[in-house]
Amino acid sequence: MSLSASFTTLAGDFALEIAIDAEDEVVVIYGRSGSGKTLTLRTIAGLTRPSPGQIAIGGRQVFDSSAGIDLPPQERRVGYVIQESTLFPHMNVEENVLVGVEGDGDARARWQTLRSVLSIEGLDERRPTEISGGQQQRVALARALVRDTEVLLLDEPFSALDEVLRQDLRAELLRLRKEYGLPILFVTHDLREAHLLADRVAVIDEGDLLQFDRRDEVFQRPSSRRVAELTGVGNVFSGTIDGDRVTVDGLALRADVPSGVSGDVDVAIRAERCNLRRHDPDGEMPPNSFVASITSRLSFGNTHTLHLQPEGAGPAVEIEVASRPYEVIGVASRDRWVVELPPEDLHVMTRELPDASS
Amino acid sequence: MVTQLRRLWVVPPIVFALFFVLPLVGLFVRALTDGDVGSELGSGRTWDALWLSVFTATFSLGISIAFGTPLAYMLARSRSTSMRLAASLLDLPLVLPPAVAGIALLAMFGRRGYAGEPLEGAGIALSFTTAGVIAAQVFVSAPYYVRTAYAGFVAADPRFEGVAHTLGLSRWRTFRRVTLPLVWPALAGGAVLCWARALGELGATLLFAGSLPGRTQTMPLAILAAFESSAGLAGAVSIAVILVAVALALLVVLHRFIGSQGAYQ
Repeated sequence: MSLSASFTTLAGDFALEIAIDAEDEVVVIYGRSGSGKTLTLRTIAGLTRPSPGQIAIGGRQVFDSSAGIDLPPQERRVGYVIQESTLFPHMNVEENVLVGVEGDGDARARWQTLRSVLSIEGLDERRPTEISGGQQQRVALARALVRDTEVLLLDEPFSALDEVLRQDLRAELLRLRKEYGLPILFVTHDLREAHLLADRVAVIDEGDLLQFDRRDEVFQRPSSRRVAELTGVGNVFSGTIDGDRVTVDGLALRADVPSGVSGDVDVAIRAERCNLRRHDPDGEMPPNSFVASITSRLSFGNTHTLHLQPEGAGPAVEIEVASRPYEVIGVASRDRWVVELPPEDLHVMTRELPDASS
Repeated sequence: MVTQLRRLWVVPPIVFALFFVLPLVGLFVRALTDGDVGSELGSGRTWDALWLSVFTATFSLGISIAFGTPLAYMLARSRSTSMRLAASLLDLPLVLPPAVAGIALLAMFGRRGYAGEPLEGAGIALSFTTAGVIAAQVFVSAPYYVRTAYAGFVAADPRFEGVAHTLGLSRWRTFRRVTLPLVWPALAGGAVLCWARALGELGATLLFAGSLPGRTQTMPLAILAAFESSAGLAGAVSIAVILVAVALALLVVLHRFIGSQGAYQ
């Protein structure tokens, strides 16, 4: 099954412009709140009408402005689950799941399977208020899948749950994906969640699709400074191309400069990709390195985030160090370090022209 | 001393409750001493008025529900500015004095009214008929239903309806299976208010439909007529206690019915 959608949706003075597709995979739509993530799902589900555009689900055209096609949500075969519980409070669990498929024997059989896959057996007679938040979202998932669903639209479905439950449900979603083999659009603003679930990631910001690519590509090779910032790269420097080097704050760095890129550039490196070495005054400095001092340390339990100021040429950097190496090399005991920015992890991007509208 | 002062907060509620209870006590005591409830119960005029009251109030409620429910839903779900403006005008009929409502109805639907005259030519008379009683009651009481129903629909999260649509439920089935059960308490509450207001309607009915025994004289009008007749207060209280008793009984039945249909708790 597949999904392909490209449309413009206007909501007040907000314009969402997006082109997205999915095969049997999880496509994470990632962005801040208000970026247009929810509107994207609502438009695909048929709950909001786009201006021009076309949407195809499982090879069926469900919306095509030029051909005058606009199927109502009832006929789009989408499963739609949002963050807030939308289980109907006046129906019990089973009535909730089967409300749209009454009299459909196949659906009833699917419900038997889903009940055990999602571990929600024995709750049939309960009202939504009588089950936990995690169970509510499992029931909502079952309800979305009990029909002949061809695409699953999930709008931050686990955000209202506590961390442990969220972990369980994410794992379950990955199982479901294998079992049912259908495109899943998963909206989230949680980086870790995006990383765990995504086959591909669509980064959207203020109604624009900034980058849509394989997960690792998006996280390691952001297409622009804005994507780098949104995906928490940690370090984005301004630089200039100088032959086969990039000069950042007076320091010439070796890097893979894509062909055709010249002049002013942005250079990104993830905080966990930067290396910290002991400073040896007599030793030789490795390439792409400079001496810097730690100005702040934040401990997150399993990782530490450090901010460093260069002594001479070079940029101020943010470095993330896992707890074990942090202790082994004794980061806590000294402030002066050699920072190394490995050339293969430096990502050089064409500088974006300042947006005319802002 | 301080703790005693703190207990003073119970005084206003008690005074307030007495203000409502005492007149009713007075009504019943007066009816038992001066009045003659027995002979009023035996009077055909009283029975006519009682039947007319219950019939017209119930009929008015039916009209309010049939037309008011779609109106309330439309106002609650629309996002257009004109509809929002219309929704803000829902309170207006509530502040309109019933006498003004009666005059307004006369001006439009009276025998000489702008719409009344052509209607009369077509053989349809509203003023001074039972239909006129119902028109006056609907005019005055429907806003209570529509206002309450509107608040209910606004409070029912439209996302429930959106999800229901994605589950394949048609618009009508979504309304019947999802929306209606969610707003049922509001609709029922509004219906009780509306019915009670219609049952007590006096001013607009008097001006628009008159007080013709058997045709337009509802219980409130019969009470007024008795009060103004030679029977005076003694005659009026006898009819009044009958109306109070019937209204209370019907309210209890209504609440039972609503409770049994009831909303999910």
